[in-house]
Amino acid sequence: MTPALEIIGLSKTFGEKVAVDHVDLAVPQGSFYGLVGQNGAGKTTTLSMAVGLLRPDGGSARIFGADVWSDPSGAKSLVGVLPDGMAMPERLTGREVLTYLGLLRGLSKEIVAERAEELLSVLELDEAEKTLVIEYSTGMRKKIGLAIALLHAPRLLVLDEPFEAVDPVSAATIKTILRGFVAGGGSIVLSSHVMALVEQLCDHVGVIDKGRVAAAGTLEQVRGGRSLEDTFVGLVGSADTGTKELSWLSR
Amino acid sequence: MTTVLGTMAGMKLAVLRHSMSGQKAGLVATGGVLGLVLAGGTLFTAFQGGDLLAAAYAVWMLGWILGPVFSGGGDETLRPEYFTLLGLPPRRLAAGLLAGAFVGVAPAVNLLALTGLVVFGVRQSPAAALVALPAMILQLAIFVLLSRVAVAALGIALRSRLGAIGTGLVNGAILAALGQVWVFAIALGQTGGITPGASAVLRYLPSGWGLAAVEGAGTGRWDRTGLALGAMAVLVALLLAAWAALLTRRASAARASARGRRPMTASTASGAVVAKELRTWSRDLVRTHQLTFALAYGVFFAAAPLLLGLDVMLAWAGPVAVLMAAAMTAGVYAVDGTALWLTLMVPAAADVRGRQRAWLLVVGPPVVALSLALTAVTGGPWPPVLAVTAALLGGGAGIVPLISVYALVPGTDPHRRGGNPLRVSEDDGALTGMAYAVLALVALTGAPAAVVAVMYGWPGVAVGVATGVLCWWGFGLLAQRRLHGRGPELLQMMRTGKRPPSGQGGWVRIDELPKREQIITAVCWSVGAIPLFPQGIVAGFLKAQESETRSWFLALHLPEAFQWPVIVFMVLLGLGIYGLGLWIPYRHRRRAVPEAS
Repeated sequence: MTPALEIIGLSKTFGEKVAVDHVDLAVPQGSFYGLVGQNGAGKTTTLSMAVGLLRPDGGSARIFGADVWSDPSGAKSLVGVLPDGMAMPERLTGREVLTYLGLLRGLSKEIVAERAEELLSVLELDEAEKTLVIEYSTGMRKKIGLAIALLHAPRLLVLDEPFEAVDPVSAATIKTILRGFVAGGGSIVLSSHVMALVEQLCDHVGVIDKGRVAAAGTLEQVRGGRSLEDTFVGLVGSADTGTKELSWLSR
Repeated sequence: MTTVLGTMAGMKLAVLRHSMSGQKAGLVATGGVLGLVLAGGTLFTAFQGGDLLAAAYAVWMLGWILGPVFSGGGDETLRPEYFTLLGLPPRRLAAGLLAGAFVGVAPAVNLLALTGLVVFGVRQSPAAALVALPAMILQLAIFVLLSRVAVAALGIALRSRLGAIGTGLVNGAILAALGQVWVFAIALGQTGGITPGASAVLRYLPSGWGLAAVEGAGTGRWDRTGLALGAMAVLVALLLAAWAALLTRRASAARASARGRRPMTASTASGAVVAKELRTWSRDLVRTHQLTFALAYGVFFAAAPLLLGLDVMLAWAGPVAVLMAAAMTAGVYAVDGTALWLTLMVPAAADVRGRQRAWLLVVGPPVVALSLALTAVTGGPWPPVLAVTAALLGGGAGIVPLISVYALVPGTDPHRRGGNPLRVSEDDGALTGMAYAVLALVALTGAPAAVVAVMYGWPGVAVGVATGVLCWWGFGLLAQRRLHGRGPELLQMMRTGKRPPSGQGGWVRIDELPKREQIITAVCWSVGAIPLFPQGIVAGFLKAQESETRSWFLALHLPEAFQWPVIVFMVLLGLGIYGLGLWIPYRHRRRAVPEAS
């Protein structure tokens, strides 16, 4: 079966720094794929290249077989993206953002109105009907971002740090939606540096370290009987992992 | 207290030292040279007499107040937000920031201009020269503080729609008055120089208090000296207190107005872009300010000659407003920041066309109304005004998105901007440069229609409509292609806030040139317009029209036989200067690339 997302030898160098170094990953259809790594390991850069938001120096990415760079329209209609920390049409309300993007995606006016209504109510954003996106809290921004990603009924979701700065109640809502999406046959790639979360949600894991894939496979294959956190520290931790204490804080 | 002052001044110095590289250094050097020329001019007036010196200082004060408004909110090297967690009392924070504000090129240049007070004092008496020293320092403190208070007050005003419109009107009027300063000069000339009344007013302005103190000492009227120095000290204290109060109010960022949520009725992709843009125009108070500013500028610029009883310019308010609106909105993609990613994710949507339509819907109606109403008032000439209005509207709608994607100056994401709503980019120098470039380019798109309308009348209107539609269509197409072809690169620029170095074999950007070449290029680009447009093309236009106006057009003051040769020479000189500005980067195109990274 064609993978939902196939990354082949993606590379990116910024100036002197090699951010992503020949990364290969395959996300099977129907899987919930967690991409883990330290801050600056290259997760965001990899995902940006995979969905066509950043031009790679080498390699390619395919979404359900459609090449992101040679067939952008085909590839991008199948994927919903939640980037980390990017701006949105800030002077619109949540409903207006969804209406705008739905129409942009070529959906009919009626379908857009229907889906926007449902998304806003499920994500509990319908109370902030008059609030502009620029006035949203960080958690609300993540939720409207997820709504944007889901609006055109994609078959693959690519989510960069979807749970960062989200309160526990909203996080539970988002988890429920994501599990439902996978149960309905969709595929998800999410990046995170919270191991417990990935263990809880994902069935596949890829570990990225210093721009390379350190391990990839099903959750069981990668952690092999240990906790994901121990495996992760074992894979990416430096030889000298003795945690240092701050001298003036210990009495 | 002194440690806060010293630390902040030291911090500013350190930041300036680290940022004195590349393009920034070129800009600072260019600004410094221009400032030195102005300071030299001020010192020269100190030898002429008190009235002229007072007038010169009034202009410096206006510059301090208005300059930051048009260059991205002024000097923001040390931001109040940096120090919020320290828990400094507001007054002390303001004093510290003031110490930082004194470190820089502009205050240094202004201090030099203020030594005019010493020159003036020395010519009167030794005591007057002595009084000039404290007067000079107090005067500089007033200028710097006025500038800071003006920016802070504007920032607060821009939080309400009424404030945004009000400041747009006032700023447009003041800048138009500066642009039409010749009108006031001639008006003054008609009344025989600076009148006693004007002379007194100039000394009552805070910019004239230092001079009043020195004059008092020179003529032995020590009561005036004491009064002026005391008033300056009190004003400094008051401004400092006002600034401290405004700083505490700055803590929360500018908010959009929350009224008038009408549901989107669009049903197509292009309609959705228009709907989004129109909402942004009406809800983003910075954009409201820009639009009001452009319209006010057009009206006041065109109406200024009425002071002299001339109504020839009045009908041109509309076209001038289009030019200003285009220049102000040149960063139409930059102001949205990384929201560009959404456009990239939907490659089929015609984003540029939607933005063009929204721009025309916002700028078009008031401008067309101005052109029609004011031409009706002056009773014509109809063809040139209508032709140029049509041509410029199309030209603006084409050039604005084109420049915005081809010469993108990355903006700060709207939700990450600090407490200063005027600051939409970290690179405000480049933003100002882009505004000037757009001004010139859009003006060029009006040229064919203007020429035909002046020579043949009504066919010019057809030409104006045709070139307008052509610019809208053609430049829009180019912009759309660029957006598709280089979208990820543009997004990366927005994300990092940095423009990448140019590729092998291509032209180098100005900040990749050696420092000396940077300065020469920057000077070429800033002064080339003077011989080419006013002294060359406009003078030639007036001569062809056999107009009586001479104004500051050198050629028209010369004997008849020299007029055309001088006009041609000016045009060639302007083209030559621009050519030099192009040739220097071209010459460096190969060797600058390898070491740039």
